[in-house]
Amino acid sequence: MSTLIGSAIQNVKSSFSPRGVVWTLWAGILVVIGLAALVNYFIHGHDAYGTSRQVPWGILISTYVFFVVSSTGLCLVSSLGHVFGFKQFEVIGKRAIVMAIATILAGFAVIATEIGYPFRMLIYNFVSPNFAAAIWWMGTLYGLYLLFILLEFGFMMKVHHKYAGYAGLAAFVAGIAAHSNLGAVFGLLDARKWWSGPFLPIYFILSAAVTGCAIVLLLFAVRYMKEKMPDNVRDTMLTISKLFCFLLGVLIFFGIWKLFSSLYAGAPGKYEAMMALVNGPLWVSYWGFEVFLGMVLPFVLILVTKGKNLGVAVFAAASSMVGIFFMRYNLVVAGQLKPMRYDPEVVGAGGLVSYAPTITEIGIVLGGIGLCLLMYIAANMIFNLDAEEHH
Amino acid sequence: MAGAKNKHWAMVIDSAKCIDCKACDVACKRENGIEANGRREVYRNWITSKGVEGTYPNLKQRFEPSQCHHCANTPCYKVCPTSATYKNDDGLIMMDYKRCIVCSTCIAACPYDARYVSKQKKAIDKCTFCAHRIYTGKLPACVDTCPTKVRVFGDLNDPESEVSKILASRHYFVIKPEAGTKPNLYYLT
Ligand code: SF4
Ligand code: SF4
Repeated sequence: MSTLIGSAIQNVKSSFSPRGVVWTLWAGILVVIGLAALVNYFIHGHDAYGTSRQVPWGILISTYVFFVVSSTGLCLVSSLGHVFGFKQFEVIGKRAIVMAIATILAGFAVIATEIGYPFRMLIYNFVSPNFAAAIWWMGTLYGLYLLFILLEFGFMMKVHHKYAGYAGLAAFVAGIAAHSNLGAVFGLLDARKWWSGPFLPIYFILSAAVTGCAIVLLLFAVRYMKEKMPDNVRDTMLTISKLFCFLLGVLIFFGIWKLFSSLYAGAPGKYEAMMALVNGPLWVSYWGFEVFLGMVLPFVLILVTKGKNLGVAVFAAASSMVGIFFMRYNLVVAGQLKPMRYDPEVVGAGGLVSYAPTITEIGIVLGGIGLCLLMYIAANMIFNLDAEEHH
Repeated sequence: MAGAKNKHWAMVIDSAKCIDCKACDVACKRENGIEANGRREVYRNWITSKGVEGTYPNLKQRFEPSQCHHCANTPCYKVCPTSATYKNDDGLIMMDYKRCIVCSTCIAACPYDARYVSKQKKAIDKCTFCAHRIYTGKLPACVDTCPTKVRVFGDLNDPESEVSKILASRHYFVIKPEAGTKPNLYYLT
């Protein structure tokens, strides 16, 4: 224990670089913005948000989804190495798991500001659980998942490979279960036709894997910004970039069929939601961010460079992450724009209701991103996140 | 499951009689102590204008009053993680406010837009069929107040009740039958 603390202090000292300070400062500013937004929320409650009776879920829910998709994805990708035994992927383990912890904690922080009474949840999830509710399973399984990835990280730091593998496997199973349940939170809402069905639980797992690859590429690009990337890490990153490209291809395929099947029969609910994206209020967010930046550009970039240019792959990953953030937003918002009932006072052009995030909501989102970065930066300072082979 | 001795509360609505006076909305707010404080989304029942029917000079404006349908197959109840939304023995869909975490999943799940976030209750709120009145032999406030007697309320398990008799003798429909919710608001044709 004392050696662990000693090496941690050593790490903190040695990792104090000007670059680290700049990153910390940026993340700190975001957190301060988030805190200011939080104060406004505490004063005005849900009135500080753009959500309404017709659109009860807004950007805070989609940001929560963004974070937990990221966490699950990182867990899936890192499992390739120390759970499933693909040796090449072992180098990404610790760094990916630390970010998985940071993203899920940031996700929890953001959703705690959207849920009206998060502390009641801690009590009544146990006192009066409803096992029929996907959201109960999602919350509970994500709690377990967090526990397992913490254990996994602890074992990795103590170089207990065997136990890290067991904890990793448990995290993998809990992560898949939790994440598909998150898909089911939407997919089991039969009233919301565009969401309902088995598509979302499956799609969520796929998009988690895509996101996991993108974040791993970014994490390692930043890690080796100022020094040469070891060859084994470089090889792994190139393999990840190819996996990323392949998974993006599958995601595009899923997206195309979601598009066609939503529009084909003109079925009420599905059609309007899809049209809100294709040619409605969310078209920029859909075509510009989700489709172009999120999927098509990164897919094409890696394809034309045949997965051999790491710089391009990292750029593709950054583009994809921006797009994926909007992808979550589109998913959450578009599914609610067709109202359940025609109320002329709130229904606007095209029979849709509207939602736009407020400054407070955007502030909390920025705060969440800052918090996530700060946690990662802190972990990066305290622990040695490089694989054992090359330090 | 509701047995024979349980009540099967239901409301029959004759929309043709509705004159859109909104007395039901006012009565509901007063009876249940609901303060909207300028938030227009705070209401338990509502009137939807169904537009004008017929050709001049034989025109008729249609209004359709509505509220929580107390669905027998209940989407809002299934999705509630903490059982804040629960069913009483007579199938009424009720709220235990202190358990509600305001995750709003039930709002998203309800096909009728019957729920809203109540700052007053610090929870989600919706129509209860005035449960606090009906078990003391009174009618729900909206039924009691309606000047043209649009709403009739009672127990469908009792064949002698007015609701049972009306539904046995008149044509009726429910809203969004395709949602499979088995609602307990019946509309006369
Ligand atoms: S109408 Fe809505 S709130 Fe009422 S029981 Fe049905 S689903 Fe629940
Ligand atoms: S908002 Fe409240 S009543 Fe509705 S599902 Fe969540 S906990 Fe249950």
